[in-house]
Amino acid sequence: MKRILVNVDRCSGCRQCEMICSFSHENTFGSSISRITVIKEDIFGFDLPIACWHCNPCNAMENCSTEALEKKKDNLIFVNEEKCVGCGRCLETCTIGAVKLHPERKTPLICDQCSGKPQCVEKCPTKALTYAETAEQQPKLPNQILEETLRRWRIIA
Amino acid sequence: MPKYYGYAGRILRINLKEKKVKIQPTEKRLITQFLGGRGFNSKKVYDEIPKDVNPLSPQNKLMFATGPLVGTAFPLGARFNVSAKSPLTGILGDSNAGGHFAAEMKFAGYDQIIIEGKSRKPAYIVIDDQEVQIMDAEHLTGKDVYETTEIIKKDLRDRTVQVAAVGPAAEKRVAYAGIFVNLARPAARTGMGTVMASKNLKAVALKGTGRIEIANPSKFWKIVEEIEEETYVHPQYWLRRIMGTTRILMLADKLGFLPTRHFTSATFEHAAKVSGERLAREYNVKSRACFSCIVPCSRFYVIREGEYAGLYGEGPEYEALSSFTARVGNSNLDLALRAVDLANRLGLDAITTAECIAWAMELYEKGELTKKETGGLELGWGDSKAILALIEKIAYRKGFGDLLADGVKRAAKKLGKGKEIALHVKGLEIIQADPRGLKGYGLGYAVASRGADHLRSEPFIELNDDPEKGVEMFGVPEATMRLAHKGKGKLVRYFENWCAIVDSLEVCKNLAENMELLPFKKAAEITEAATGLPFTEKSLFEIGERIVNLERAYLVREGVRRRDDNLPKRFLKEPLPNGNSKGMIFEIEPMLDEYYAEREWDLKTGIPKVKKLRKIGLGYVIADLKRNGVKI
Repeated sequence: MKRILVNVDRCSGCRQCEMICSFSHENTFGSSISRITVIKEDIFGFDLPIACWHCNPCNAMENCSTEALEKKKDNLIFVNEEKCVGCGRCLETCTIGAVKLHPERKTPLICDQCSGKPQCVEKCPTKALTYAETAEQQPKLPNQILEETLRRWRIIA
Repeated sequence: MPKYYGYAGRILRINLKEKKVKIQPTEKRLITQFLGGRGFNSKKVYDEIPKDVNPLSPQNKLMFATGPLVGTAFPLGARFNVSAKSPLTGILGDSNAGGHFAAEMKFAGYDQIIIEGKSRKPAYIVIDDQEVQIMDAEHLTGKDVYETTEIIKKDLRDRTVQVAAVGPAAEKRVAYAGIFVNLARPAARTGMGTVMASKNLKAVALKGTGRIEIANPSKFWKIVEEIEEETYVHPQYWLRRIMGTTRILMLADKLGFLPTRHFTSATFEHAAKVSGERLAREYNVKSRACFSCIVPCSRFYVIREGEYAGLYGEGPEYEALSSFTARVGNSNLDLALRAVDLANRLGLDAITTAECIAWAMELYEKGELTKKETGGLELGWGDSKAILALIEKIAYRKGFGDLLADGVKRAAKKLGKGKEIALHVKGLEIIQADPRGLKGYGLGYAVASRGADHLRSEPFIELNDDPEKGVEMFGVPEATMRLAHKGKGKLVRYFENWCAIVDSLEVCKNLAENMELLPFKKAAEITEAATGLPFTEKSLFEIGERIVNLERAYLVREGVRRRDDNLPKRFLKEPLPNGNSKGMIFEIEPMLDEYYAEREWDLKTGIPKVKKLRKIGLGYVIADLKRNGVKI
């Protein structure tokens, strides 16, 4: 399936993706309501946008006690808000930390790929984000990406 | 709370002595008169910090403010100003930084944060939306900027929190310590870090879940898209993305305004070795950007071999790079990177630090300063040991560093020599552009409201040497020619007003002003779309005018007059010895006359005229100045 992919060497960490995401979903600007989040480690100059990978299987979905996380026909995971009790378990069990809870509604904010045209990808100023087919059913973990990147930059041996 | 668009709508006041917090709405009148950011701060500095307050006393106030486009998708940066009375200059202290702090401040819900009083114990502030806590900071005492930021993130178990921290230099009351966000992005100038430390405040950490609403989204997005289109095809886009401001070093060398060996030369024979081009080719691994900015002009470098192998970090910008290379006569790029890194960690302003070192080096080279006086340090041009040792000695006020820790003006006074070559205006050390080769910049240094500084006016346009532009904008062909004196009063007034607006919107001057991506008209359109309040080209120009005049009134109240709007003798008497501006000196008096006439300030005193102040809605200042003994 198609997924949002990141080239970390190109990502400037500007967080335009967060802004366009929050606006296109909620009509207002705020990091707390974006479905993509840039992890930043200033000490290493490292920036990594994280959005739901729509894993198969999905750890958060398997651990959801009310079965509020469901999979659509196109394999995208979404929240059934009627079932969700806002416990935040998904936030802890998502393997890459791609979930945050809406600050007031308390339901998880999960990337919906903007119906096949992710706005964060469209607007990414450095083209660090792309939307492409990948057979990888599970994403690389952020720590692994960090380590590989620092090795490539020869910050660590 | 009334409904706000663009603005967060709140001003936060924290009294450290009483541990009291007050949240007030951002008044509409403040918005329409002063716009945001620097405008908000300058207004409150004038109104709330009376004449003769000791900058390091609890009566001084430290203010952070940001603007109405920050915390949105506005693509040209997101900055904040921090202001107080300066311990370095004794006049308006004000500095500005990018990174991600300002946007988070908006999400936390604040347009401005005013910090009053002094904490009894070392403290740091944590702001989480409307919850404000004053935390114990004993464990942070003496820690550098990097350590402090990291410890706070661990304390709060949150890696997304934005931290503004000071280093040991501020704790030691070095007069020019900065406030650092995202580790290596300082609001460095005029000693705002020193004021923060004098309040026993080590850091401000904040985060927020708030949102910024836009009044007219369709119009807002239309303008954003226009700006984006223009940006991506701008001739400077890739240059800035690859080199950021470090590209200026070679340009300055070529045109003959690169301050070399303490301004005794305007070109540096090793420029290419320490250039932005070389950094890009051999050191940089990626580009980084401020919040929501589409021109990632900051760079992350890694040193892979040699004495400093293993050093990595963000930056440097042209000012810091040029500070620790040409200005001090150093041709070792690795050493310069280490010097900038050290100054950042210890929390110093790189520009002022380098001036103090270069000043001492010139005296030493001339034989006017002895090894005995320097505590055994050999201060030959570019001496690597001396540069690194002095940065540390200044930060900790050790030995000879103690003399330099109050800035070059006071150092010359204390030492009883070197006054003529102490390169500052109003106590603020001059930046990395020789005014003899850039006349508009030079006038800008002389009149800037925070002392010698280019960012108050930045009339970059004179770099193009295009007389037609001068005729078009000011009716004077020389106005936009860098070596001409004529027309610079008009030029500087216009660009000062523009910079005041850019600083109050808190967007990036490099993009908004230098790349001309946000002229007054467009600024008015997008501010109106974002805020829903009526702004026009004319009203923004007037707000810029009002801010500059109010800052001037603040300086006048503290005793500044025409005699203080001057440049150091070196620039007025010594012709430039080499380079493409060879033979030039700076003729200040006719330029000041022209500038004051443009500003409607009294020619003799430099005090704004009563008529002028009334015209721009600053009538209340007249009575206040009179009360304070100013003959107006």
